[in-house]
Amino acid sequence: MYEVMMFDGGVYRINEFYELVEDVGGFIIQKSQAQQTINVTLAIPEEEKVVIERKTDELGGKLINVPLAGTEIAVVAPTLGRHHMPHPVCDIAEHLRRYGAITVVMGLARGKGRKTAQITADEKRIIEEYDAAVFVLGNFKDCIVEEKVRLFEEIEIPVAVVCGPELEGLPSCEELVCGIGRKAERMRRAEEIEKLEETAQAVERMVRVRRKELDEDPLFVHPAEIKQAIEDLDPVRENLRPAPIVLHLDGLRVKIPFAEWKDTLYDIEIYGRKLGEIANIRDASLTGSTLIDILTKCEVEYRDLKRSS
Amino acid sequence: MKVTVEGQEDWGNQSYDELFRRILLDLGITRMIDEVHMIIEPENSFFLISLRVRTATGAKSIHEVAKVEQKPEGAMLTITNELYAPRLLALLWRDYGRQRVDQLSRFELMVRGIKIDELEEKMLDPGEELKQKVLDAVWRLLPEGLKVRHNIYSEGVLTIAATEHDMKQDWKDLAEKIHAELESGREEV
Repeated sequence: MYEVMMFDGGVYRINEFYELVEDVGGFIIQKSQAQQTINVTLAIPEEEKVVIERKTDELGGKLINVPLAGTEIAVVAPTLGRHHMPHPVCDIAEHLRRYGAITVVMGLARGKGRKTAQITADEKRIIEEYDAAVFVLGNFKDCIVEEKVRLFEEIEIPVAVVCGPELEGLPSCEELVCGIGRKAERMRRAEEIEKLEETAQAVERMVRVRRKELDEDPLFVHPAEIKQAIEDLDPVRENLRPAPIVLHLDGLRVKIPFAEWKDTLYDIEIYGRKLGEIANIRDASLTGSTLIDILTKCEVEYRDLKRSS
Repeated sequence: MKVTVEGQEDWGNQSYDELFRRILLDLGITRMIDEVHMIIEPENSFFLISLRVRTATGAKSIHEVAKVEQKPEGAMLTITNELYAPRLLALLWRDYGRQRVDQLSRFELMVRGIKIDELEEKMLDPGEELKQKVLDAVWRLLPEGLKVRHNIYSEGVLTIAATEHDMKQDWKDLAEKIHAELESGREEV
C-alpha cells in the first residue's frame, strides 16, 4: 500500500531525496518549486516511511500529511462573475490544494438565478472527468433547496455542496457544508478558516469512501506507476503547462493532445503489457488533454479471458 | 449607516447586510452612504435595494486646486489643495498616461508635452466618482440572475428592484414607496 505525503523544504541536496524515493520504490507525484523552497508530493510504500522521515530531518525539511494528494477536484461556481469569485470559490480551491489536491475552478455558463439556473450536458461531462466536485452556492435556503439542487442531481462523481444557510440535508450530494455563502473578501478570520477546514474534511471523507470502493476491486496498476512510465515522453517533458500529468484516483490526466499521441500512449509498456490493454485512453474535455482510466484487475482478467476465448 | 433588511430568511438577511458593508468598505465609500433598505424575497426571485447617498463635495476645476504654469517641457502644477491631490493625479494619469506625468515632489506635478490651455476644461468631480462607486457596489451586491430591473433615481436616493422574470406592478409600487421613504429621510436629516 502506498502512502502519499508532501515534503516541504529547500532545494539543497534535493536530488538525494529524489534518489532515495526511487530506491525505496516510491514515486514523485508533483514538484513545485518557488525560488529556494520546494514542495514535493510523493507516494512511497508504507513500510519505507521511516527512511524518508530520517532523510527529511537530515535535509531540514518536514513531511506533511496530504490526504487529498493524487486527486483532481473541481470547484464549481454558478458563474465566473464577480459575485462568486475570487471569494469564496478560490479560497476553497486554495485550501484544498493545501491538502494535496489539484484543483480547478469552474464557472457554469448559466448557473445564476433561481428558476433560470441550469447546467448543460457538456458541463456535466466536464465535471465528471474529475474525482470529486465541490458546488459553491449562495445564501438562501429556498433558492438552494427548491432550484439549485438541480445543478448537481445527475452528476455521477461524489459532490460536496457548500452554502450559506444551515440546512439539515440536501439530496443528490454526498457532503454538505453550511455557513459560507457569498463573500466579498478573503476568508481569513478564524471562524472562516474553520469552515474551509470543514470543507476540506468533507472532501477528504468523499475521497476516502471512493478509495475504499477502489480497494474492493483494485486497479491493475497504481496511477503513479503509469506516470513514471510516461513522464519521459518528449511531449510531456516539453510541456509548459503547470502540471503536465495529474493523478486521479482511478487514472490520470496527461496534458498532451489525444489525437496526436493516442497510439504512442497505447503502446507504452507497463509490467510487460501495453497501456492500451490495461486502461481506457480517451480524449478529455480540457483542450489538448488525454484521460487514462486504469482498469481494475478483474476487468483486465475478463478482457484477457475474452481475448483468449 | 443604517441598514434594514426585510425577508423571510434570517441567515440570508444578515449575510446580505454584512456583504454590503464589506463591499462598501472595499470601495472606500462606507461613510458616504446614509441609509440602506433591502427587501429580499428568494421565493419570488425578488430583490430590492434602496439607498440614500450623502452629498459629495462639488466639482472643482484644476485651477482651483493647483497653480498651473507653462514650462518649456510642459505644464507644471503646484497643488494648493492637497485633498484633491489623489484625484488630480488619477485624472492626469488617465488622460495623459503615466509616462508623461512626473511627480516631482509631494505637491509638484509635471505633465510633459502639453499646453496649460488643455487643462482649462478639466474638472475634478467627486460626485460623479461617488455615483459610479455606488452603482458598482449595488451591482456587486445584486444577485446575478435577477436581470429584469426597475430603477428609480432622484437626488441622492437610488432604488433598484430586480427580479428574474416579469416585473410586477406591485413590486414597482413597493419600490416607489421605499424610495419615497428614503427621500423623506433625507429631508429629516
